[in-house]
Amino acid sequence: MQASSLRLYLTCIRNTLEAAMCLQNFPCQEVERHNKPEVELKTSAELLLNPVLICRNEAERCLIETSINSLRLSLKVKQADELENILTKKFLRFLSIRAEAFQVLRRKPIQGYDISFLVTNYNCEEMQKQKLIDFIVQFMEDIDKEISDLKMSVNTRGRLVATEFLKQFL
Amino acid sequence: MNLWWCGAMKGKSSNMPCCFERESPALKQILLKLYHAEKPVEIDHHLYEFGSVEYYVQSSAADPHHSFLSVLTPLLSQGEIPSNGPLSPYTIQMVKDICSESAEVVEPAREGYQLTLKLNFSMIPKSKESEKVVRRIASVQAVIISSQLKEIFRGVDSHGTFQPIKLVYYPREPFYLIRQPQKITAVFPMRFKEHSDVVIATAFFQELMDVGSSAKWAKTPTCTWAPIPPPELRGESIEDLSTNGGFVSFDICSRHVEGKKLEKTVWTLLNFYAFVKNHIKCTRGLIQRRMQKRLESLVEVLHKGAMEEDNKVKRRRGGRYIRKLVSLSKFKTLKRRCSDIVNKIKRLRYRIKIHGFNRFRRRWLTLPKFSSSRGYSRLE
Repeated sequence: MQASSLRLYLTCIRNTLEAAMCLQNFPCQEVERHNKPEVELKTSAELLLNPVLICRNEAERCLIETSINSLRLSLKVKQADELENILTKKFLRFLSIRAEAFQVLRRKPIQGYDISFLVTNYNCEEMQKQKLIDFIVQFMEDIDKEISDLKMSVNTRGRLVATEFLKQFL
Repeated sequence: MNLWWCGAMKGKSSNMPCCFERESPALKQILLKLYHAEKPVEIDHHLYEFGSVEYYVQSSAADPHHSFLSVLTPLLSQGEIPSNGPLSPYTIQMVKDICSESAEVVEPAREGYQLTLKLNFSMIPKSKESEKVVRRIASVQAVIISSQLKEIFRGVDSHGTFQPIKLVYYPREPFYLIRQPQKITAVFPMRFKEHSDVVIATAFFQELMDVGSSAKWAKTPTCTWAPIPPPELRGESIEDLSTNGGFVSFDICSRHVEGKKLEKTVWTLLNFYAFVKNHIKCTRGLIQRRMQKRLESLVEVLHKGAMEEDNKVKRRRGGRYIRKLVSLSKFKTLKRRCSDIVNKIKRLRYRIKIHGFNRFRRRWLTLPKFSSSRGYSRLE
């Protein structure tokens, strides 16, 4: 049931990205000889498209904001308990600090979300659009899997350490 | 308190602690050096450990058979800060028991120290047991600390309930012993600086409770964790009872402190705070390593796609480039490459326009022209 809802969620995001990632070069209208991602500035309403919010459930959602030359994708990852909460925060902060390795990752997520991507027309020129979309969707799957694995590792380690501790009393 | 791991690798969970060693490694090394020395050695060492434990080792060439070891250590106190008071007779007796014939307690102790031992290495048998004896002497500080707790646990079978005993070893980390009929409960208020530490520790305490409550571990002390203090501690000061990690309790019965188990139980309880902190530190390290590994795999996926694209483009262009090279002579190819580099440099330079710089450039910064064997340069 969960696997099928995840598939539907990811498919919806993929289809939206395929439609939204039609970016072209557009110089800044406010400052001459400048070229800025319009989705970040939001100064010209005519250059922005309607944002799309895709919710899997109350805890997981994805916001896709598009403009003429850039696209911003923000993700809210599910966090079932305190341990998942801190693991998610740690891991996504770890990735965000190293955003230059990913090129399309934003250093700071949008408020209310855990991680954000910023794709510009230059990224689309350098990389294949389909591969970029595949990467983002794969990234979302990997994040969920990694958080679950981390939680299991922490609990497994805790259990082994507790066993070793109690052995001292025997 | 000496915290030395003898960890073992266990599959994915590395750095698993097996025990905390009781002896001080620096002191053990010095004592072994004295024991194995063929000639008399002059030693006058002051050792400091963990900021509060002090050893003074003295050996003179004039008296090669005897060395002196003085110890100063904070004791488990019932006040706010650890005390450095004199040792109880029970503690002195415990020290005499571990040292046997190879060491003698000197009365009174050297000034500034709680205990002075006169060591006679010639009384240590020359066999495999010699290192054991030296290790026992090097663990004198652990013996002093544990003896106080052992004294309290000796009366575990007494009837009646008494006021909780607050013991302080590390400043700001007191723990309590609550005497109850047929058992003594050790209560550890847990405090952590960071919220993530609290979460990791709480997960660990829950695992500890789960494991301890299983049938396989029925012989171990019952372990409980609660976010609020137990009812027996309600009268204690609010500062000591305000925590962010809850309260961990161990119920110690007589079967946990009979015979050799007393030493193990006491040592394990004394090291509980350090044990938890070490577990949190290792868990954070584990999380960091996993994140680093995952980062590398995620980046590899992204770059793999980009590299595949680059390789395809390079393969397409490769044929034309090779054909061009074959048609031109070697000299012309070299000349063409040099002129490309020169043009690139010129383009870079032209980006920065400084008034009057062109003249300077023409005069001082022109690159030499390649001379041809067919052409000639006109002499001025």
